[in-house]
Amino acid sequence: MTTTRRSLLVAAALAPFAAKRATAQPRRVLIGYQLPLTGEFSQYGERFRNSALMALEAFNRAGRLPVPVDIVFEDTRSDPREAVAVARKFVDNREIVAVLGDFSSSASIQAGRVYAEVGMPQLSQTASHPDFVKISPWQFRNITTQAYEGPRVAEWMRENGVRRVAVVAIQNDWGQSVVSNFAEAFRAGGGEVVATQFFNPGNREFRAILTEIARARPDAIYIGMFYEDGAAFLQQRRQLNIRVPVYATSSLYEPKLVELAGAGAEGVFLSTTFMSTSPEPHVRAYVEEYRRRFGSDPNMFSAQAFDAVNILLEAIVRAWPEVTRARVREELAKTRDFPGVTGVTTFDPETREPAKTLARMRIENGQFVLVR
Amino acid sequence: MRGALAPLAVAAALFAILPMGLSMAGSGYLFRLADVTLIFCILSLSMQLITGVAGLLTLGHAAFYGIGAYAAAILSTRLGFDAGLTIPAAGLVSALFGVLIALPTMRLVSIYFAVATLGLGEMIYVTLLNWVSFTRGPLGIGDIPPLRPFGFDLSSPLGSYFLLAALAALCLLVVHRIAHSYYGNALRALREDDQCADAMGLPVVRLKIEVFAIATFLAGIAGALWAHTTGYVNPADFRFAESILILAMVVVGGLGSIPGAIVGAALLILLPEALRAIGEVRILAVGLIMFLCILFLPKGLFGEVAALDLVRRQFGAAWRGGSAARPLGWR
Repeated sequence: MTTTRRSLLVAAALAPFAAKRATAQPRRVLIGYQLPLTGEFSQYGERFRNSALMALEAFNRAGRLPVPVDIVFEDTRSDPREAVAVARKFVDNREIVAVLGDFSSSASIQAGRVYAEVGMPQLSQTASHPDFVKISPWQFRNITTQAYEGPRVAEWMRENGVRRVAVVAIQNDWGQSVVSNFAEAFRAGGGEVVATQFFNPGNREFRAILTEIARARPDAIYIGMFYEDGAAFLQQRRQLNIRVPVYATSSLYEPKLVELAGAGAEGVFLSTTFMSTSPEPHVRAYVEEYRRRFGSDPNMFSAQAFDAVNILLEAIVRAWPEVTRARVREELAKTRDFPGVTGVTTFDPETREPAKTLARMRIENGQFVLVR
Repeated sequence: MRGALAPLAVAAALFAILPMGLSMAGSGYLFRLADVTLIFCILSLSMQLITGVAGLLTLGHAAFYGIGAYAAAILSTRLGFDAGLTIPAAGLVSALFGVLIALPTMRLVSIYFAVATLGLGEMIYVTLLNWVSFTRGPLGIGDIPPLRPFGFDLSSPLGSYFLLAALAALCLLVVHRIAHSYYGNALRALREDDQCADAMGLPVVRLKIEVFAIATFLAGIAGALWAHTTGYVNPADFRFAESILILAMVVVGGLGSIPGAIVGAALLILLPEALRAIGEVRILAVGLIMFLCILFLPKGLFGEVAALDLVRRQFGAAWRGGSAARPLGWR
């Protein structure tokens, strides 16, 4: 009784200070999001923004913080000139406590150098370049890299009895990491990489590559590319009648792949972090709302952005009421077991690399089916 | 006397008014825009020499910009060279490639030369992309140190701005002295009719190679500045679209006009940023403005005739001539 009364008294005495402190609170919390809303990657930026708006509205509706959170979207076309200019713009705005984006690794790194210099937490939903999180302790990513995925696919292949593999990947930073991480893990497990081929971005003619790798007689082909290229690759493989099983990176998880490749896509193995047909309730709720609002199914990229925004919002809630750039960074580094739509996510506090659960899938009768 | 006033005004704007305004605004964003504009001024000035003055349509300029950037990146990250050395070295490496490419292509004319440079530009891009052991390919080169030439720390926004402004002013001076001289007039003669110029005794091929070497040298310097101010280079930054952007700057500004190259570069860098407020249609608006510029001002925002007139009156160009009422040179 007395304690209650005393604490009431203390509270009453402190009330004016508390009120004063409350007025010193920001009227809102601001986040910057740099993404390609125009130009050749605009379809990705569009999905990021859709997901971000969904996550933000739900968060503000739930009233987790006494003040609303807002996101400033700035278009960069994922162009290096604009990405750096936008980074400077966000840094200039003292209200912005953290930044999401950019889409491509190179734009994310170029912007990241600005954020590292000034001290602004940056969380990219898609930058998978190995150097990105090495820029400074201010960089985070929500996408598992090939350093994580490659060894898991290698293990899966070993379980399926594959000994000799041919690898085909796109010639960009990500494609390079697909090959190096997978090959290293696969060799370490006693397997042999019998052929490695890169193709330049924009090239859809794979017949020469297919003939070349078929000659090496692999037990399986591992492909690291985007679904547009993947569809062409799988179709041409079928036309050449090369009946070697294909394993693919998670980037090929896209319903359009089956549409474009038709029967060529049959039997492809791939791992993914996000599955739009997942039976889990929070994934279903996300997919249904996305479909209702934007008239299309969310893909891996939309889901990555949805989780990135939510992870950042959680970090802000934990940092409240001291929402500064430094505090948000600290709290982001403490992200553990975040139940996202792309799987349960934990950030390594040292390397700031995410760990997620990967699901195994196979294309059967034109459908992506979970493999147990 | 009149001849000294205009250069002073340019210097005052570049070294006093602009940096003062930028410092007062205290905005890293505006400083960055100023830096990028200066880099693209150097690029458009260098292309103006080849395309505007000497009349050789080149579609591979971004490749030389890229060579300069990679030269600076590799020299500074692997050999620890300082920006005071990497910047001129990047210019020299780029000019070396420029001459090597110019030697076989300079006998080509008009569209054939354009397509040859397009092909060579793509070759250089593909080399940067695929020579992984040397350029790190698509991974790009990171951790390029900021501008600290000869131990002077110019990595602050104001320091970088001053260095960039000084180099851009130097490039402007060089291009101005080349373009507005009898040498420049000889280049214009090539543009108008190279067979006729040849018949008049001008060494056509040598002139073309020289101008290509000078322009690619300047493009290389721009590349080095980009590498040091951005800290990370990637082959994708030097693709065909960048060549087209530089070409658009030159054409919208006015072919053959030095002030035009500057106006064009400033317009095409700053306009997309200024139009951020109108949202996703901004790139459309930039395209529309470019289209209208060409439609109504086909000679450019600052056409060559007006530019030469200005230069002759205000900047005391070499051909102003003696006491004759009609100045030398052409009209």
